[in-house]
Amino acid sequence: MILNKIKTTAIYASLLAAVSCTSDFNEINTNPTGITAKELEQDFNHVKVPFSTVFTGVFNTTHWKYQLQQNLNADIWSGYMATPTPFKGAAGDNSNYNYVDGWNGFIWSLPYTDVMANTLKIEQRTKGKYDQFYAISLILKVEAMHRVTDVFGPIVYSQFGTTNTTIPYDSQEEVYTKMFSELDFAVAELTKRVNAGEASTFVSTDMTAYAGDYKQWVKYANSLRLRLAMRLVKIKPALAKTEAEKAISQTFGVMATNADICKVIIPNFIDPILTISSAWGDIRMSADMESIMNGYSDPRLAKYFNTSADFPGQFRGVRTGINMIAKSDRTGMSEIGSIVGSNEKVFMTTAEVYFLRAEGALRGWNMGGTAQALYEAGITASFAQHGVSGAAAYIADNVKMAKDFVDVKDAANNAAAVNKVTVAWDAAATNEVKLQKIITQKWIANFPEGQEAWSEYRRTGYPKLFRIIHNTSGGTITTEFGPRRVNFVQSEKDGNPGGVATGLSKLGGPDNGGTRLWWDTTGANF
Amino acid sequence: MKKILLIVMVVFTAQLTLAQVKTIKGLVTDSKGMPLPAANVVVKGESNGTSTNFDGGFSIEAKTGATLVISYLGYETKSVVVGESATINVQMTESGSTALSEVVVTSLGIKKSKKSLTYSAQELKSEELVRAKDPNLMNTVAGKIAGVAVTKSAGGSGGSTKVTIRGNSSTTNNNPLYVVDGVPMLNISSIQPNDSFGSTQGGNRDGGDVVGLLNPDDYEGMTVLKGASATALYGSQGARGVVLLTSKKAKEGVSSFRVSSNTTVETAAYLPKFQTSYIAKPGADESWGAAQATHDHTRDFFETGVTQISSFGFSTGSTNSATNVSYANTSANGVLPTNSLSKNNFNVRQMGKFFGDRLTVNANVSYTSQYVTNRPTSGLYFNPLTGLYLMPRGNDFENYKNNFEKFDPSRNMMVQNWMTDRDIEQNPYWGLKRNESKDGNQFFNGSAGLNYKVNNWLSIGSRYNYDRVTSEFNKEIYATTQGTLSHPNGRYINITDVSSQNYADLIATINTNINPDITFFANVGGSFLKTSINDETVLDSDPSGLGIANWFTLHNFNSNTGNYQNYGYRREQQSVFAATTFGYKNMLYLDITGRNDWSSTLANTGNLSFFYPSAGLTALLSEMFTMPESISFGKVRASFAQVGNDVPAFYTSPTSNYTAANPQNINPTVGPRPGTNLKPESQDSYELGTEWRFVNNKFGIELTYYNNKTKDQLLTIPAPATNAEGYQNYAYNGGVIKNSGIEVLLNAKIIDNDKFKWDATVNYSKNSNEVSGLPEELGGTVILTQPGVNSYRYSLINGRPFGVIEGINFKKDAQGRILLNADGSFQKTDFEEVGNANPDFMLGFSNSFKYHNFFLNFTIDGRFGGDVMSLTEAVNDQFGVSKATGDARAAGGVVVNAVYPDGKAYAGKYPAESYYSQVGGRAGISGEYVYNATNVSMRELAFGYTFDLKNNKFLKSANLSLVGRNLFFFYKDAPFDPNISLSTGNGLQGIDVYAAPSTRSIGLNLNVTF
Repeated sequence: MILNKIKTTAIYASLLAAVSCTSDFNEINTNPTGITAKELEQDFNHVKVPFSTVFTGVFNTTHWKYQLQQNLNADIWSGYMATPTPFKGAAGDNSNYNYVDGWNGFIWSLPYTDVMANTLKIEQRTKGKYDQFYAISLILKVEAMHRVTDVFGPIVYSQFGTTNTTIPYDSQEEVYTKMFSELDFAVAELTKRVNAGEASTFVSTDMTAYAGDYKQWVKYANSLRLRLAMRLVKIKPALAKTEAEKAISQTFGVMATNADICKVIIPNFIDPILTISSAWGDIRMSADMESIMNGYSDPRLAKYFNTSADFPGQFRGVRTGINMIAKSDRTGMSEIGSIVGSNEKVFMTTAEVYFLRAEGALRGWNMGGTAQALYEAGITASFAQHGVSGAAAYIADNVKMAKDFVDVKDAANNAAAVNKVTVAWDAAATNEVKLQKIITQKWIANFPEGQEAWSEYRRTGYPKLFRIIHNTSGGTITTEFGPRRVNFVQSEKDGNPGGVATGLSKLGGPDNGGTRLWWDTTGANF
Repeated sequence: MKKILLIVMVVFTAQLTLAQVKTIKGLVTDSKGMPLPAANVVVKGESNGTSTNFDGGFSIEAKTGATLVISYLGYETKSVVVGESATINVQMTESGSTALSEVVVTSLGIKKSKKSLTYSAQELKSEELVRAKDPNLMNTVAGKIAGVAVTKSAGGSGGSTKVTIRGNSSTTNNNPLYVVDGVPMLNISSIQPNDSFGSTQGGNRDGGDVVGLLNPDDYEGMTVLKGASATALYGSQGARGVVLLTSKKAKEGVSSFRVSSNTTVETAAYLPKFQTSYIAKPGADESWGAAQATHDHTRDFFETGVTQISSFGFSTGSTNSATNVSYANTSANGVLPTNSLSKNNFNVRQMGKFFGDRLTVNANVSYTSQYVTNRPTSGLYFNPLTGLYLMPRGNDFENYKNNFEKFDPSRNMMVQNWMTDRDIEQNPYWGLKRNESKDGNQFFNGSAGLNYKVNNWLSIGSRYNYDRVTSEFNKEIYATTQGTLSHPNGRYINITDVSSQNYADLIATINTNINPDITFFANVGGSFLKTSINDETVLDSDPSGLGIANWFTLHNFNSNTGNYQNYGYRREQQSVFAATTFGYKNMLYLDITGRNDWSSTLANTGNLSFFYPSAGLTALLSEMFTMPESISFGKVRASFAQVGNDVPAFYTSPTSNYTAANPQNINPTVGPRPGTNLKPESQDSYELGTEWRFVNNKFGIELTYYNNKTKDQLLTIPAPATNAEGYQNYAYNGGVIKNSGIEVLLNAKIIDNDKFKWDATVNYSKNSNEVSGLPEELGGTVILTQPGVNSYRYSLINGRPFGVIEGINFKKDAQGRILLNADGSFQKTDFEEVGNANPDFMLGFSNSFKYHNFFLNFTIDGRFGGDVMSLTEAVNDQFGVSKATGDARAAGGVVVNAVYPDGKAYAGKYPAESYYSQVGGRAGISGEYVYNATNVSMRELAFGYTFDLKNNKFLKSANLSLVGRNLFFFYKDAPFDPNISLSTGNGLQGIDVYAAPSTRSIGLNLNVTF
């Protein structure tokens, strides 16, 4: 009898386990506020969602992330903007070439998690099946990642997505080579579809103004190729010419009208630069912008900047890398203007493409026009893009030049103008002066894309920028040449130390901000 | 498991041969009427015998006229002749030793005689929990139990408490399991900080924990089970130790009404030191300007806090039923202006017996509701202390206090009045009044239990328990709050978290004698546990902001971008288990347990189930051998246990999610590292112990050595940004954490006579731990708290103890000279080890004196070794407000032993501003801000009087006492109280970032029982 009871007890106990069922464990273990990979396949959201992250990830749309991704580095080093905030007091920060690693890590990490991871997903889900999507993802990947290699040099690119514990870095040359071949694939694939009269299936996924038009994407890809080609002009002149001419001669050519501008349109978008400038007071017009654009009485000024709160009616900037005491000393200078007030983020302008072609023509390449015509077309396109008039008079102006900079708070920061060229084309001038004009105008036209401007500044040395006064880099970055790159990041040193070692060996110099990138040779422009 | 069942069956077959004549029932009690469990009852001259159950009851078959012999270790053996009555109650008389008679509550709420335990368990009586009350009862445990580290959170009153038992053993969770009357309690917090900077979403918040919501007056005692062997019955949840709370139950035939009232005043203690000799340059944020005497305004800011705890308890018991009703109210004003807390506890407990005691039914309902206004935060955002400490000197703080807002005609409203626009500091009063936060926590617990006594050796019980915790956070942030923290029109944050836990079990308890020499006790059963943690809805008007300024409602949000839902975790665990104890002649005890868990979190790992056993042996040497007169008790014990710990929920079923940190990228936050399959962590532990008592139990010593090794640690590491899935983190098994240590407990009744009594207890514990097996390709390091932009990182490093504090140091040459750059600036290292958060050992010393009706109790709590870093001091230095910077300026600079790259030594003193702007600050040379965490404090003190009420018919007892907590430090190196932790989670340890100052409290305590 007792034995029976024991049995019953045992049975009860085991029943509890046997009756209960583990078949719903997977459901219980799934976050109910998440969406599973399977559910995401509906409506092809497993392709659309990664695209949307890529579109909003090239320039991060979250204010603080953008601030660290670009605003506190390239936007400043390009001479576009300056911060009135003495973030680290007398010790200095990025503005003083004393790099803040905690900030600069985001220049690396954001494009990988937001762009590379998602373009890889798109590749896995579309390659061979929906190659038009794959093609467009490659163009976006090149757009995002050339910005990264132009900051660090060697980066993880071809080996991205391997499950090895060490992910080796590609040299910058390898990255550029792969980017050209990726653009080759994208252009061929999309051109084939346009020629076949195929209707676009990218319409509802496309967040750019192109609205899924494959032909426009080809033009953009060609324009991007032109930008990359020009970057290599000092290190690989022959390749630069070949790739540039390939871009121009492609069936659909490069961007030519402002309708071709590549820009994403994001619902509920507040440009991070607006927040950083207006709400946080952490970024202002630079002294360089003040000097050059005021000097030219540039009609675009009022679009780019607000007038100064401290100097009503005037556009006043802040010089980078000065000795600062109080943030409030210079928050009254010009904020960034209505250019950052829309829900659009421009990836590449048509004006830039004209300036690239102008430089190509200057170098004797077949760019479908003369250097002067293309230079002037660039200025005209930029004026039109911003809806301002007076381009003709501006182009013809051979008098106005950059003005000297005066810092009313501290005369030690005053500086005589350095970028002394006029706007008007001078056929008799040297190639160097012509290039200075082209790059200066490109610099103005490309505002506020500081990353591209900083890259071109490093390549050409133009426009000439005011030097910083308070250099706290500890000797790694010279005041004369400024930052040439950013050192490899902490998250990679922690998570992929073997990879960082391969990057270091391919860098060809110490891992600091003074080491020049592969394309950044000390050679002459011509 | 099958084997265990087989043993059980074989054992019972033996009993089937027993004669059955007449059933005698009875109760065996001690001299005070407390039941004695496991007392031996045998019929003289026969082999028939049994032992009492845990309520002291027994039932035995015997003929009329036979003699029952009742024996219990430490008591004089009694013989009773069976008469006509079927009931025999026996009151035993102590034979002098109490070590043998102590009863402790163990796993599943089962009382066991302490002597038979094969593992270490330490008890605290209810008076220890209420003598000098703290709103969080766990804070009253500090210094009282060997091997238990109690750290208060920086969240002030109503904040959570970090409890670590025998060191950190897991990378995922080191909090113990809390068990009330045998049923696991859901102790969670809606949020714990893990970021040294502070969240823009309301700052670095502590959401409070559930144990802090309990009413300490509801419990008659606490037992802490420290080792894995003690906790095998709770499985994974108990692997880090178990804190068992036993509720007060009404005693049969006694009705009582207890009232207690506790009022304490708190003052802020251990504030940073500030300079009062230099002001800021005009407009500057930092105070590096001219010499000018200033008033230290920081002292005036803090108020005197008052905490009042009133508690009422009614209980009444009859033969068949018992009822307890209690209510408590806590109301507190913190030392931080506007910080207040209000808490109400309700509890009803009912017990009834049916069918002649065969069926016992229990039911309990309790509800706690707590509201906190402006709970203190740490970190640099939404923290009034940054503005308070950093205000550029030379400004009139009083003016900014009285005029924290001013009218702005251009906006036609009141706007913040502060001299600087900097994200890390606002006007403190604006922060408190116009960024006000309200935290609400509600805890409901309902349980019901049935226990059916099938016969004299078998009972079957089943329990069901439901816990539900709701946490709300509401923050109304007015327009013109600093731009990083709020949209220009203001910001509204409303976060609700709901958590629940369902627990059910069915357990058979077997308690019998196999033969007169061998007792057998077993629990066999199964349990079901389903938890759902922090089902969260976040409404946040940022980043797109409010449409109409200062209208704090969802409809006024410019867009839905900042709103999202999130889920902490969800887990279902099904278990079967068996625990058996064999006793031989009351001198040898053998424990064998086994448990198998099926856990939902192991979905997709290929194996949903894991099994773990334990075994333990105890020998009472003093019973086995003849000992000298002076030795009253001697025991040795040894145990071994394995415990599994399943993987965190959702890790193996990654989904895309919206997160506040990453709104536009919905890639999973964590997933298994490619090429790996997750499995449970497993811990092997063994424990050796011995207990001795001497001279009629006047002196006692208890020694324990333990060693445990937790392998297959679940590591969550930031995935390289270059990973294919876009996971932010990888999870995988790797790494081993070893803990070993000793615990010593000494008791002495130094003086023991009618008039004067002095009892003293010393507890000592030392734990060493070591991390190993972290992947070498990651440099043998796993970061628990990412540095972000600050020079503080908290990591696991191979070959080092758990919890290495990493920071930045000066780069020095072989002669120890600081290396300078050519421009004279300091060279810095990368992140490297600068300290360790673990204490080397802990020492607690409790004393209890009684003289006539007066009593004095105090506890001295010492933590020795370990380090803490202060980013507060670092930032204060950078801003030129700290005393150190004032002294340095007065001295003409900082003396440095430094050398230029060309080998030339630095001459003269280093300019103070330049020095502190490089060395100080949150991203500075943080190695200079590491302090020894060693401290010895007067943790608790009570001095009181017990009224003599022998002749009072109305009052049963009454006492009045003066109590104090955290009164002073005998020794402390750090510039703040190092016993405060920014988080009760695994990260953010050994660091202070503008945490609210520790408080010292003194008060009056009155207890009356009617």
